[in-house]
Amino acid sequence: MKIIACYSNKGGVGKTASAVNLAYAYAQSGARTLLCDLDPQGASGFYFRVKPSKKLKEAKFFEDVERFTKAIRGSDYEYLDVLPANLTFRDFDIFLSRMKNSRSRLKKALKAVDGDYDVILLDCPPNLSSLSEAVFKAADHVVVPVIPSTLTERTFAQLVSFFEEQGLQAKKLKPFFSMVQSRKSLHGETMERMRKSYKGKFLETQLPFSTDVERMGVHREPTMAFAGNRPAGKAYRALWHELEKRT
Amino acid sequence: MSNSLLSCSEPLLPTDWPNLSKGLVAHVDADQETAKFVLLDCFDQSIRQSGRLLFESGGQLTLVQPDGVPVSQTAERSGNFVADLADGPVKARLADVDPLRCLLNLGEGEIDQQQVKLVDDEEKTHLRVQVLTFSTVDRATSLISLDPVRGYGKSLKLVRKKLAERGATEAAPRQIMDVLFPELHAYVAKPKLEYSQETTAYCAANRIISAYLSVARQNEAGTLADFDTEFLHDYRVALRKIRSVLSLFKGVYGAAATQDLKQRFSDLMAPTGPLRDLDVYLLERDYYFDMLPANLHEGLRLMFATFEADRSAVLADLTKRLKSAAYKREMADLEATFVPPGECIHGALGGLSVGDYAQKLIWKRYRKVSKIAAKIDDQTPDEEVHELRISCKKLRYLIEFFALQFDAAEIKALLKPLKRLQDNLGLFNDYSVQQESLQALISSGRLKGKTALMAAQSIGALISILHGRQLEERARVVQSFARFDSPETRERFRQMFHEKGPQL
Ligand SMILES: Nc1ncnc2c1ncn2[C@@H]1O[C@H](COP(=O)(O)OP(=O)(O)O)[C@@H](O)[C@H]1O
Ligand SMILES: [Mg+2]
Repeated sequence: MKIIACYSNKGGVGKTASAVNLAYAYAQSGARTLLCDLDPQGASGFYFRVKPSKKLKEAKFFEDVERFTKAIRGSDYEYLDVLPANLTFRDFDIFLSRMKNSRSRLKKALKAVDGDYDVILLDCPPNLSSLSEAVFKAADHVVVPVIPSTLTERTFAQLVSFFEEQGLQAKKLKPFFSMVQSRKSLHGETMERMRKSYKGKFLETQLPFSTDVERMGVHREPTMAFAGNRPAGKAYRALWHELEKRT
Repeated sequence: MSNSLLSCSEPLLPTDWPNLSKGLVAHVDADQETAKFVLLDCFDQSIRQSGRLLFESGGQLTLVQPDGVPVSQTAERSGNFVADLADGPVKARLADVDPLRCLLNLGEGEIDQQQVKLVDDEEKTHLRVQVLTFSTVDRATSLISLDPVRGYGKSLKLVRKKLAERGATEAAPRQIMDVLFPELHAYVAKPKLEYSQETTAYCAANRIISAYLSVARQNEAGTLADFDTEFLHDYRVALRKIRSVLSLFKGVYGAAATQDLKQRFSDLMAPTGPLRDLDVYLLERDYYFDMLPANLHEGLRLMFATFEADRSAVLADLTKRLKSAAYKREMADLEATFVPPGECIHGALGGLSVGDYAQKLIWKRYRKVSKIAAKIDDQTPDEEVHELRISCKKLRYLIEFFALQFDAAEIKALLKPLKRLQDNLGLFNDYSVQQESLQALISSGRLKGKTALMAAQSIGALISILHGRQLEERARVVQSFARFDSPETRERFRQMFHEKGPQL
């Protein structure tokens, strides 16, 4: 089982969009996939039409493994389940450590309900907190959408130095350029500069700025499901493919 | 997550759904036209017996598994054996079907399929339902399989409740066959015969013979249609068992009657021999090719071409015979003879009770097996090994005829070592018979012209390999019998058939 986090210390950069599409891509490839919506806003659950679970708000539910597994909802796609938003940080921390530990009660419980997963995707909220530290420790990959602008260039630099300061494995970071507008020369220049200074770090795939991503909210489906053969859909598939190759 | 399966004798219509799914919206994707379906199973209905249902419709094969989960694949196939199906999920799940048995069309009708998705106000699917409505001229039934989505158990419960109110009940796939084709009984190759304590040996013999006559008759149509080789095989086994009864139940019928009946059953068997021999070869085809190196394969191909040509001719002969008025008259005559109580002449021992008689017979046969075996060492001529094989077979038949008279676990404990011994003896015999008839094929002069030499070479190589295998099996016989002849087995035979009275 591997854990992939979609993370950025900045909001609105395409974390949720990539988490939703990557989860879909993994499930399509036959991997049993769980998408965990860790952002209280509940955007990824929304894209899969899954309503937030009320029961989950109760504080100590993680001590009750069965209740946790009951909160998981099957999506409308084969092999893809969703854990709707509402985790408190404490719960989440326990969740991650239990998912990592192959002998944990949580993993056993998931197995028992026929939901042992090959891939767990985390859609993270945008902050650098003790929550994100837990994510960085648990995840095998931290996928970071980076909009090629001067501002995000700085936020990404902050993230890299945070990793260094905390002694975290910087090689887990898998940044990719998001919302790329090829007409903007600034985008081109920024990408060239960043690829040079972070040699080999950035994924090759660039996600174009596309209404097909925005329209996920209208369709309430991943871009790949309704526009799989259009540029954005293809780019998400390429992103998945590249991620698979790098593991 | 496993499906659950319901059935409803009042067919479920697409328009029923709004009432079955309160709070949810049903998206129904129903067939526009009814399609034909063909129910498939082997002659022994092994698919139905294992709790499954297989049917073909619109170019698709669908297997409904015991838990109700249907799987489908293309129905395209090169023949009607499971091995002939295109690779796919249905074929993979039918791996347990006897490879010698072909799939038959056991019934037909019309089928309507509905795929239903029950969604909430945000169009999120809570439950998927597949409804298959099967109908024949005078019957109909719906098979409803519920495919729940994780985390939406409430909706599943609700729909189940509504369906139950609508008359649906928990179902097994095989029920479809019970409902649609109630007259379709499974073929049983070994009828289970039970006798009361008052049954006389004479009546028991009649019952056995009449049961196996019926087995033979049930195999006539399949033999004629040449569906698979098991029909003829079972036909022959049934007749062979009858002959065994006649010779084993000595004194039950009068001597003259016994003699006459044995002759009549031999006459029925005789015309089936050549076809069975060829079937055995053709079934072994792959095995023969595996035994020989590639440079001898051409000769094998020639040999099998000869066998195939022979088989058509021999099948035509047998077909003529089975269709003849004389044959039908003879079978009807025999059936009438053995209809209990039967009109056969009572022999001296016919009046014994079946329990006593069974014990006597089995004990006697067991002693005989032991006696023959005692003389066999590594030097004993093959004829005596064959005699042991035949005696074991008779012992096995006897135990099986009377199995229900004794404790089932005890019988099982006896049959297990016996079967193992028989496997060894059977292989020994097969290898020797095959060598003989291959030898006969070479000497027959039937292989002519340039190809003859090539075929003869391959056959020669085959014979020497078979000879080697026969020797290997022969070398095992003594040890094999020793294993069968354990103190426990001896004790068991003695207790069951020699000491106690009948156990009923
Ligand atoms: N490649 C893209 N092209 C155009 N719009 C995008 C793209 N990626 C994301 N968006 C849009 O930007 C907004 C923020 O994206 P989202 O994935 O929710 O970001 P985050 O999770 O990082 O806050 C959403 O409205 C989304 O539809
Ligand atoms: Mg988000």
